[in-house]
Amino acid sequence: MARRGKHAFPSQIETDLAVKMDGAHYVYPNGQVVALSGVDLEVKKGELLGVIGQNGSGKTTLTKLLNRLLKPTSGTVYVNGLLTTDRTVQEMSAHVGYVFQNPNHQLFARTVKDELEFGPRNIGTPEEEIAQRVAAAVEFFDLAAFIEEHPYRVSFPIRKLVGIASVVTMKPSIIILDEPSTGQDHQTTRIINSLMRRLAEDGTTVICVSHDMPLLAEVVERVIVMRNTEIIADASPREVFADQQLMLTTNLQAPQITNIALETVYPLGGPIALTPEELAADIASRLEKGKR
Amino acid sequence: MSIQTAMPTSMIPGNSVIHRIHPVPKILWIVIYVILAFTTQNIFILYGMALFAVAMALLGGVFRPLLKAAYLIVPVGSSLIALQVLGPAADKPWTVLAEVGFVTLYGDGFYYALVLLGRIVSSMLLSLVMVMTTHPSDLFLAFSKLKVPYTFNFMLAMTLQLIPVFQREVGLVLSAQKSRGMKGSGFAAVLPSFVPVFVGAIERVQQLSVSLESRGFGSSGDKTSYRQVAVRIQDWVYGIGGATVMIGLMVYSIMQPGLWNLSDMISFSPRTVLISFGVSVTIFGSVILGATFLSFRKS
Repeated sequence: MARRGKHAFPSQIETDLAVKMDGAHYVYPNGQVVALSGVDLEVKKGELLGVIGQNGSGKTTLTKLLNRLLKPTSGTVYVNGLLTTDRTVQEMSAHVGYVFQNPNHQLFARTVKDELEFGPRNIGTPEEEIAQRVAAAVEFFDLAAFIEEHPYRVSFPIRKLVGIASVVTMKPSIIILDEPSTGQDHQTTRIINSLMRRLAEDGTTVICVSHDMPLLAEVVERVIVMRNTEIIADASPREVFADQQLMLTTNLQAPQITNIALETVYPLGGPIALTPEELAADIASRLEKGKR
Repeated sequence: MSIQTAMPTSMIPGNSVIHRIHPVPKILWIVIYVILAFTTQNIFILYGMALFAVAMALLGGVFRPLLKAAYLIVPVGSSLIALQVLGPAADKPWTVLAEVGFVTLYGDGFYYALVLLGRIVSSMLLSLVMVMTTHPSDLFLAFSKLKVPYTFNFMLAMTLQLIPVFQREVGLVLSAQKSRGMKGSGFAAVLPSFVPVFVGAIERVQQLSVSLESRGFGSSGDKTSYRQVAVRIQDWVYGIGGATVMIGLMVYSIMQPGLWNLSDMISFSPRTVLISFGVSVTIFGSVILGATFLSFRKS
């Protein structure tokens, strides 16, 4: 339901973009901490976007503006063409799913199944569809063995998957993952990796805030770099991670493989590797050429 | 008002005259304040004490955070007035003010409602001002100087330090649940919000106890502290002066017949009592109905 706000901005705009942010500025209520300074950002529907930056650079504030957990102090934030300031968090939750870093902050139900049904019920999804979505999530996340378990009785990696699945069952058109791989084992990280790809294939916009550079290098197609509450770079992961000056000024670390490639094969020419597979293929091809 | 901002119970940094007072006089003030508040029935003393606490808050620069706590006084005060007018905590016979259907309203209870409210307000305000102007470690040090057992002292200090952590946790949990379409208020929000907070609290306490034991907690011998707070002459003056005034007030009002309880000397007009009752019932009813409405409202 579109509502007329008290400001000059239209409550709804025609746009093909998932996110359109113009001059978004956020100052914490005490008025002393500026968390975001005039950020402009456009994210296409179905895009896989990574957000990186040091702690306190404004990454979480940026993403919390999208589902209206925070309201910009000035500037506008449109999500799916809707002005977020005119909506409640509950209204925005049908559009933007937010997976918090710590699953313990959201799990409360008596069983994993109840937990997966909580979100869709809140946004008024019909019962039949809830059952279908839960079944699909259980299959994808391999949760069948835990469906009747209490969420706090399963291991932490499984709990993390339950937390993500409980947002995925709401089928939002945009999903924000805050540090999805922190503290996770290899298998869970692989599941998260394929989840992100699959969501994007299905047309969901995925925004991943992470310090896990290898994960981002492997999955996302675009990276924005934040520093001191501003976006200072916006490019493909290959361009961002190859920019050693950028990594240095932001105190970020490119994936180890990229660093090895930069120090060894890159000076000889050719593309920069982001994954072990790419580097192995590059070396193999150079060796092959050398033999010839 | 969100849950996490409802009770400011952590220290608010500052260098005011109240911040600089040694914790021992502060503890002494609170103890005597509570004793005085819960023994006297003189509403002038009680509300004078509340005003003194407000003055302390202004001096300490913590008036605004203290106002947040004042929100809690509204439902408590209105319920006290409404209930006391319906059933006074005074000796019978009670003075009937009005009969509305099967409900009888009594005039005697109004004074006692003000006394009970005055006790809560004065004790709560001063305690909060002292907590907001004292570093938890200084409080810990003060208690250890007062020979409070180390374990008990540690528990108290940890509790005070963990309150803001849990308040932040409640904020995070509410954000997480609201992001899944949950209403952020009302009874419907209680279970999804408080289960994660309780579970988090238990886990945190378990981890903390293991961490403490692994760092030698419980070992015998004298304990040292990183922070040292020197006792200045002013602190002695504040402590002894404050205690003397309050004990003197107590002794004086006990010795002067009629000063300890002014219920016989002060009478409120039926109109005042009825209007206060009406306002209190309206406020208290609105709080209950508002909470119920929010719980059942469809999102």
